[in-house]
Amino acid sequence: MRVLVVEDEPDMRDAVAMFLREGGYSIDTAADGKDGLSKALTWNYDAIVLDVMLPLVDGWKVLSELRKTKTTPVLMLTARDAVNDRVRGLDNGADDYLVKPFVLSELVARVRALIRRAAGKPQPVIEVGGVRIDTASRTVSLEGAEVSLTAKEYSLIEFLALHLGTLVTRSMLYDHLFDERDDSLSNLIDVYVSNLRRKLGRDLITTRRGYGYLIEGE
Amino acid sequence: MIKSLRWRLQIWHAVVLTGVLATFGVVVYSLHWQTRLQQIDAELDRTAEVLMTQLRRLLPRPTPFRGPGRPPSLSRSRPGTPPAKSAANDTKSASKSAESPAVTSARPTGESPRSRGDNDRSRDDGERGNRPPRERNAFERSLASGQLPLEFQHLFEGEDESHFYFVIWGRDGVVLKKSTSAPETPYPAIHLGEEGLPVRLVRQFGDRREVIHASRFDLNVLVGRSIAEDLAAEQRYGLWLFAAGGAVMAAGFLGGGWLTARAIRPILAMTATAESISAQNLNERIDLKETDTELGQLGSVLNRTLDRLQSAFEQQSRFTADASHELRTPLSVILAHTELALSRPRTAEEYQSSLGICQRASIRMQSLIEGLLMLARFDSGQPVLETTEFDLEHVTVECIEMVQSQAETRQIKMTTDFSPVRIRADRGRIGQVITNLLTNAIRYNHDGGTVCVKLRAVDHQVVICVTDTGVGIPADELPHIFERFYRVDKARTRPEGGSGLGLSICQTIVAAHGGTIVVRSEPGSGTTVEVHLPSAV
Repeated sequence: MRVLVVEDEPDMRDAVAMFLREGGYSIDTAADGKDGLSKALTWNYDAIVLDVMLPLVDGWKVLSELRKTKTTPVLMLTARDAVNDRVRGLDNGADDYLVKPFVLSELVARVRALIRRAAGKPQPVIEVGGVRIDTASRTVSLEGAEVSLTAKEYSLIEFLALHLGTLVTRSMLYDHLFDERDDSLSNLIDVYVSNLRRKLGRDLITTRRGYGYLIEGE
Repeated sequence: MIKSLRWRLQIWHAVVLTGVLATFGVVVYSLHWQTRLQQIDAELDRTAEVLMTQLRRLLPRPTPFRGPGRPPSLSRSRPGTPPAKSAANDTKSASKSAESPAVTSARPTGESPRSRGDNDRSRDDGERGNRPPRERNAFERSLASGQLPLEFQHLFEGEDESHFYFVIWGRDGVVLKKSTSAPETPYPAIHLGEEGLPVRLVRQFGDRREVIHASRFDLNVLVGRSIAEDLAAEQRYGLWLFAAGGAVMAAGFLGGGWLTARAIRPILAMTATAESISAQNLNERIDLKETDTELGQLGSVLNRTLDRLQSAFEQQSRFTADASHELRTPLSVILAHTELALSRPRTAEEYQSSLGICQRASIRMQSLIEGLLMLARFDSGQPVLETTEFDLEHVTVECIEMVQSQAETRQIKMTTDFSPVRIRADRGRIGQVITNLLTNAIRYNHDGGTVCVKLRAVDHQVVICVTDTGVGIPADELPHIFERFYRVDKARTRPEGGSGLGLSICQTIVAAHGGTIVVRSEPGSGTTVEVHLPSAV
């Protein structure tokens, strides 16, 4: 899952980005509204964490510009907790709202929930055949036995599971699983897929040669 | 309700209107009745005149002498008393009538004695003096015997259509002729005055109006008529007046009520608006439709007051929001980094980095809180200034040393131009002001720019002047730069340690010393800040 963090306070931005990365997300960062907006319009992020008080272009403006073309889930961060600020944020198209200071694990939980909801899978557990994916604890089990996966392997299986029954192209996978800092190699995806097939069974992921991958719905 | 302005006005207007209308009505009514009575009297007079003229024409020529012989039966009776028995109709005593004659006027008739005939004049001679007894002449006798000229016959027979009635009696009170409809009232024997001028009397019994003409030829003529119809008409007229007055009253009362309601409406609107205004809802304004009226002026004064109140409130709430924002930001950094550091085992370097970040955030909070506390102390009106006399040059050099490292990292040159200046002020606070100004001058300068500090004494003032070659401040931002948490360039990333309170604090300190700060700026080429302080506080 790829998430954009737009926050001007460097210490805050670093903390949020690092915590999300450690939570298995690919993170892009932007220090001001202008940069944030251009990144948000360029890439299809799974979620955006957006501070309200931003230099150059403020959070409200970024949100309203973004909403003209994209439905990316947006979590607003602000140090103002006035009710009308929150109402304004939600009315302007924000999907959730978090008031500073906040606990990072709450931020991650909210981001996770936003991504699930956007994929139309509000339940935290997705089951496909004998494979059970718990997005809350980021664990996968096969026939009741937990399977150990790397962060990227988990992200890939989760992304495919969230798009159950639909074709996921390779470029989509690259967009969503790697952030701007990753020097991704073109065959990296194939390596992860073959690892997953080895751990979870050959039939779970179907390959559409030349297009991408999918997990067939039941 | 009775105490409300509206009803007081209404009642006052109603009372005044009633008074005016009642006075007017009474005056009009009485004038009208007087006029009507004059018309009636004139009519009666005319008839009496005609009758008199006719009678005089019938009167025989006066005899050359006046004989003493007088019929004993018609001996003179006391004046004012009718004869005990009238030859024709008088059968009852006049004293039976309880009403006494209401003689309303007595005046000579319009006819002057000179206009009369010769025989009148000759009779005048006889009548002056002690009125000798005389004989009834032929005419009187003919009257008494009912031999009236034909044209008068009908007057004495039955009811006249016009309700006129006549009585003719002699000077001695003996009724000579009387119309059948004439009431039984006393017929006074009228004495002519000393000049012997004809006498006219007007009297009214109930609904009968009578005029009595006394002529010089010993005949009294009474013409009267019933005025019952006139009285009734006058009553109707009075009723009409009353009704019209009532209508005017009603119109006045309703119109007055409408006008007062209109006049009061803005007040009610103001009351409603004022009631709906609260700290949460200061946007309401009094609707000003009629700005020229006194109420409109009051309304606009209230609106201006509300504007000031609202801006003060907004400033206050903005300040609170800004302060909380500024405090939350470092707090969130501390919380986030501690959570991050504790979420899993870290290396020593990672812990060090986290602690360093937390320390920076804490220092930022500390400086912010100190600034806020200082402003609050000054705001509360009890600034604690520890004034001592000191060398300003010395303090300024200390401040420059404090910011020197900041300046060096950006290759900013610091130049000084000092005159020896001693000042009596709070040394620590003045140092704070100078440090703040220098920090701003470095922070908003271009790399490799210059900051120039000048000190000089003018009259009883000390001027500290800090000039930079930085980005400058746009003219429309200048009035706001001393506002708390105001940032000229909102796009600028918050510099480390900058709380947004620096200039506010400077201004507060300088103002507490009785000084002023003047800022001149040229966007793009630099800013000059001049602090004017009195030499001694």
